[in-house]
Formats: sequence, C-alpha cells, structure tokens
Amino acid sequence: MSIGSPELLEEHQKLQDGAIEFAQSELGKDIIRRDREEEFSREDWRKCANFGVLGMPVAREYGGMGLGITEVIAVMEGLGYGTSDQGLLFSINAHMWTSIMPISLYGTPEQKQRYLPRLSNGEWISANAASEPEAGSDVFSMRTRAERRGDHYVLNGTKTFVTNAQVADLFVAYATIDLRLGSMGVTGFLIERNTPGIVISKPLEKMGLRTSPMAEVVFDECTVPVSNRLGREGRGVAVFESSMEWERGCILANYLGLMKRQLERSIQYAQTRKQFGKKIGKFQSVANRIVNMKVRLDTCRQLVYRIGWLKEHGKPATLEAAVAKLHVSESLVANCQDAIQVFGGYGYMVEQQIERELRDAMGSTLYSGTTEIQRNLIATCLGL
Amino acid sequence: MSDPSTDQIKEEMRQYVLNEFLPGEKASNLHDDTPLRSSSIIDSVGLLRMIEFIENRYTIQVEAHEAGVENFDRIEDIATFIQNKRGAGA
Repeated sequence: MSIGSPELLEEHQKLQDGAIEFAQSELGKDIIRRDREEEFSREDWRKCANFGVLGMPVAREYGGMGLGITEVIAVMEGLGYGTSDQGLLFSINAHMWTSIMPISLYGTPEQKQRYLPRLSNGEWISANAASEPEAGSDVFSMRTRAERRGDHYVLNGTKTFVTNAQVADLFVAYATIDLRLGSMGVTGFLIERNTPGIVISKPLEKMGLRTSPMAEVVFDECTVPVSNRLGREGRGVAVFESSMEWERGCILANYLGLMKRQLERSIQYAQTRKQFGKKIGKFQSVANRIVNMKVRLDTCRQLVYRIGWLKEHGKPATLEAAVAKLHVSESLVANCQDAIQVFGGYGYMVEQQIERELRDAMGSTLYSGTTEIQRNLIATCLGL
Repeated sequence: MSDPSTDQIKEEMRQYVLNEFLPGEKASNLHDDTPLRSSSIIDSVGLLRMIEFIENRYTIQVEAHEAGVENFDRIEDIATFIQNKRGAGA
C-alpha cells in the first residue's frame, strides 16, 4: 500500500512502502493490552533493528544504513502509518536522536566503534538522561554534578523522564562540572548499564505512549572513565543541541503516518455510518471536521519534509524545525479530537483505538521542547 | 590569517552579534560595552554558538572556566580575551 505522497522521490516512496508493509505485518500486535499494562516489546525492537530502522542515520562503516534525513522521515512516516504502537516508535526516536546522533557527531572513533554497531543492530538500547526534577525546559540549569577524580568522573544527581531507562544498556547523560559555570559547565557522558552507581529508581506511568518505558535514574557516586566523556568538557550543550534539529524534524514524522491513517478511517466511517437516513459525511458539521484534518495533515507534511530538504542542502533549519514541531504536535492533537468526534461514542471506546492515539498525541506537545518553548524559539529566530 | 587588531576583532564580533542575535538592529546601537549575556541578548545556547565561532575564526580554544561574563558579556571584553589567548598561544 502506498500513502501516495506527491513530493516523495521514487526511491523515497519505495522505502516508505517497504516500511508500511513491514509495520503492518510485523509490529503492534496485542497493542490494546500492552498499552494497558505498559508493556514494551523487545521482540518488535529486534524486528525493527533487523529491518534496518535503528541504524538508519548511522554511517555504513558503523553498521548503519547511512540514510539522509528525508529518507528517514519517509520511513518513519511509513512506520507511523503501518503500526498502532506509537510508544515503540517514540522509544526508537529517543534511541536515534538523543543517543545515536550525538555519538555519531561527537563520539571519538573508539566510542563510535564500540557503541554505534550495537545500537544499530538492536543488541543495545539507549536512553537519554538530561531532564531533572528542577530542570525541565530549562534543562541546562541541571544540578547533577560530575567531579573529575584522576582518570574518572564521579556523577551524583537525579534524572527524570528518562525514556527507555528500564531497558537501556547505555545512557547518554549530562552533568555539570561546576554549577558556577552555568550552561558552559554541562558535559556529556556515555554510561554503560553495568557501571556501578546507576540506580533505575521510580518507574513513571504516563498518560500515553505507554508501551515506551520511562523512569527516574539516580547517579550515586557513579564512576565514569574520562574516555567515556562525550565531546569536550563543558560542551554538553553543543552535544545536546546537535541532534535537536534532526529530532524536532523527525520525531513527529511517524505521526504524519498516523494522521493519514486516521484521516482515511474517518472518511471511510463518514461514508458508511448513517444517521437520520443519510451518511454522516453529508452533514457539513462532520465533513468540515474531516476537511480540517486533511488541511492540517497536508500542511504538516510540507513543514516536516521542508526540514529534510534544508538539512540535505546544508542549510540551517532551527526556525523551520521549531515551526514544524509546534504545528505538527498541535495539529496531531486536533486531528485526534476531530476523529473522535467523527466516530462519536464509538470513538470514545478503547476498541476503536482513537482514544489511545489522542493520549499518545498529547505527549508530542511536551517532549523535545514544549509548545511554549517552540514559540519562544520561533520568536527569537524572528528577532523578537 | 593575518593578525587582526583589537579594533578589527571588535568590528567582526559586532557584525557577528548583529547577524546572529540582533537582526535588523543598527550597528551604531551595539556599543563595545553593551551587555550581551546579562541583558539576555545572548542566551546559553547562543553563547556556545558564539564561542564556537570565535574558536574557528581566531584559532583559539576556550575552556569551560573561561566562558563566564568576565570575558563574554561585552564586545570589548571578548576582543581583549581573544587577543590575550592569541598572544598566549603565539
């Protein structure tokens, strides 16, 4: 099945078609129960690795596929269309954008050789430990300390909202070498799961994306070799920010697929469901909702693929990525709400799975920079 | 690269700040002693971008403990810092 995207090149369309077929046949089994029980599927993770998803942005020399950003967007859109397990795709996004990409950009040759093949082939799962209870949107005000002791750093502090924490084999963590340095003290570290001093503490139960695990992580005298520092001392902000344009552009690409599938379902339902003797799609109040869903989807697709074009032409995309993140996340929530209204009472039922899509969608206005932070970024880029 | 004078560095930094952080602002409104960090013209991410620009442009390395407001709040302090680093590295 093809989504039929006019702006995709033939080779991108083939990639997307393959992703749709793979996701429809292999992923998302038993999703209603797994969502209820917050069950992550390691089996589906391995399937995605075998299909090549996890290593999409990784250079071929490190076991990846070496795809460009537009190709990655096309595949993620296809996966979002083909599977109902948005939690799995969220975990994959976290793995790729907050771990694989910073290692690819800032890792030493030794770090790349040790970690990228394992992260690409599904052997290891990674997690990003940046946010803290008192440092969310203002993440660089973090309090976790990294004290240099000879050829090691010793980390102490608490991280929260750590996606994949319970299943992670590697943590990309950030800590400050000196609180007085502010953001210039923030430093990145690669911390393996078996490192003494890592405690996976409180699991965090979420409203949506419940098949993606999340927990607090405590570093208690956690000793990390200097060779596992990621990037230069005090340049953690650069490491953290390095992947944000990719992340803001790609993390919602799977939702383009979800929005497309949801639109098709809504049209089909409105064409068959009858009330007052006619199909509900003939009522303007219903049809207008579906029209709005279509307009939002089309504008979202243009914004996301524009990022791919800009990055592949070596152009900055800070403003465009923030615009896309803001618009796609808010459109996604609006489309889910409209789909529920089109389906009426049935849309409110778990069995229809739209209520889960709305719960999943709500997170998109929060992670990778809240809607409010995106507006701040856009305003700054406009010189305000 | 020929050795730029302190005045040349000030002018280059003024243009950089105007282009990156104050688009549309007149150069005459950005003085050598205009506070950049403490007035929030440049935030933490902007500071990092500016330091990376300085490292590449003037072939120096800025250490974390050198990146405070004492060196990076005003164009005149930034220029002095760059010249001192270049002198130390010569």
